[in-house]
Amino acid sequence: MYPLPKLSVIVPFYNEEDSIGPMHAAIVAAVDPLRISYEMVFVDDGSRDSTASRAEEIARSDARVRFVKFRRNYGQTAAMAAGIEYARGEVLVTMDGDLQNDPLDIEHFLTKMAEGFDIVVGWRHKRQDKLMSRKIPSVIANRLIGKVTGVPITDNGCSLKAFRGSLIRSIPLYSEMHRFIPAMASIAGPRIAEIKVRHHARQFGKSKYGLSRVYKVLLDLMVIKTVTSFTSRPLLWFALLCLPLTFVGLVTLIAGLGLGFASGHMSLPLTGSGVIFLSAALTLMASGTLGELIYKLGDVRPEDFARLTQKWVSPNQSSASV
Amino acid sequence: MSNQSIQVSAIVPVGGRQTALRELYAEYRSGMKALGVPFEFIFVLDGPQPGYEKALAELVTEGEPITVISLSRYFGEATAIMVGFDHAAGAVIMTLPAYLQVEGSEIKRYYDAIDGADVVVGHREPRATRWFDSLRRRAFHGLLAYVTRLHFHDLGCNARAVRRKVLEEVRLYGDQQRFLPVLAERQGFRVAEIAVKQSAGDRHDQPYELRNYTRGFLDIFNVFFLVRFTKKPLRFFGMIGVATFGIGIIELLYLVFDRIFLSTPLADRPALLLASLLIVLGVQIFALGLLGELIIFTHAGGSKDYQVDRVVQYPGADMVASPAKSAAASPVKVVA
Repeated sequence: MYPLPKLSVIVPFYNEEDSIGPMHAAIVAAVDPLRISYEMVFVDDGSRDSTASRAEEIARSDARVRFVKFRRNYGQTAAMAAGIEYARGEVLVTMDGDLQNDPLDIEHFLTKMAEGFDIVVGWRHKRQDKLMSRKIPSVIANRLIGKVTGVPITDNGCSLKAFRGSLIRSIPLYSEMHRFIPAMASIAGPRIAEIKVRHHARQFGKSKYGLSRVYKVLLDLMVIKTVTSFTSRPLLWFALLCLPLTFVGLVTLIAGLGLGFASGHMSLPLTGSGVIFLSAALTLMASGTLGELIYKLGDVRPEDFARLTQKWVSPNQSSASV
Repeated sequence: MSNQSIQVSAIVPVGGRQTALRELYAEYRSGMKALGVPFEFIFVLDGPQPGYEKALAELVTEGEPITVISLSRYFGEATAIMVGFDHAAGAVIMTLPAYLQVEGSEIKRYYDAIDGADVVVGHREPRATRWFDSLRRRAFHGLLAYVTRLHFHDLGCNARAVRRKVLEEVRLYGDQQRFLPVLAERQGFRVAEIAVKQSAGDRHDQPYELRNYTRGFLDIFNVFFLVRFTKKPLRFFGMIGVATFGIGIIELLYLVFDRIFLSTPLADRPALLLASLLIVLGVQIFALGLLGELIIFTHAGGSKDYQVDRVVQYPGADMVASPAKSAAASPVKVVA
């Protein structure tokens, strides 16, 4: 039997035939001196170039490499999720396959994890990307994400992150949530630390992102807000949406009625609008209740998350954490 | 007849339009014989059809390799095929329509083409048809191609060959049979299209009724949603919701502007009603999207976003309990 490794390094690749060899070498060079048991999980996200065959070669020659090949391109979140699924380590480190992250940083992540953090997030403080199209939108997005989710992270876009395996394996990852793993994980209330990491300019291949993500990020943010607040106070979020509608509805209705009594001529547009807004608020509350029902029938339970990050003290075991 | 030896199972759903059984069976059987491998036929009677059932029973007593399944009511072609599939033993499944669309001799070509693909669909070419039907078909496939970014020419051709694993993973229902290639492609299967000879019996088109148009349109919409937004309902509902909300807000701002600067009394503007309706509608559609997301989130543990082709690790560290338990380098299907 092979013992379970302490560390899993998860790297998704998509059309990175030039990077995969150097990446493997860099990880080995960085982690070998640390003298811990580790494995690498390479995920090929349906590349069209020779990434898959090169990865397979590496997996055949290095027993520490587990290679997962997708049937077609499913996107980075799916690749991360698959990597997490096939990783067996206690600590999971994810990084990009394009050599922009530096495996030498893994050491610092492990140190932080040993201090008792559940999630350690990298921060590319000297980011090697274009200012206008990459850096500025990212600063705004990160501020917004921090505000909305209540998990202030300077750099959500940095793939270099470390997770406690038991925690991350139970966080649902789908759609394009990889950017928001810490925010999604906030359901479990993890202890999150942030450390500065090196960031290199792209050596091979092309960047796969553009500015068009803004709309998607905004919607994803709404989703995260909804699902994470539903785990604690289900109806509240919908009630908050109702509030402005109710307010506007009441004001318009009262204005319409008041005007009607004062002049003897009832205004249909005003009273009508008031009624519409109020009824919308009512339907929204009904939706919230429906949401509660969905949530009850689903398989996500808040206490499961609470268990993940609990620490306990008991007589026969001085202090431990899951 | 031993089931182990069967290589190809032909499933024939019998629902609507049909050719006389003897003629149909003779054509298909000669086609299957040409494959040179053991085969079986599975006829699924979609709803009670006593006459057809009797004719089939005659064939069975004559010793033909036929399984007959009768459904109590009409369930739709896709369901009929899935029911037939439960009884199929072959590694390759041929679905054949109950009326002659393609010549029986073409079955061999389907079987040959499946060597390099998981799904083989036919494209009746050259096609005898009226110009209007041809136009309608073009519009349908054009719209579908636009929506799914996949180009098929003849999804109405129900003679297809698929590998067993495709039907195991792509569960069809209702009228989705037509979109099997689209859904299979979505799951990462290789889909090939071959040109096949149209059967003489298929040369005249059925009258196309208005409700078929609605159904066709709804089907496309259904597939559109399935393919693009299943895992992200808010992308879809959000888009519509935000647009509606935006139009309402703009109209409202315009009315308010009029009220403040041009002193047109707001109370006399019926447009105010429209604006409030649009705003409210937008919020509600958005809320629907959020509910959809909630459904996805609470069930995300049970469904995977991805299909793994294979997992490679040497030397066989797969002994350790992990999702990839089966031998490395063999196709691994991931099911939670």
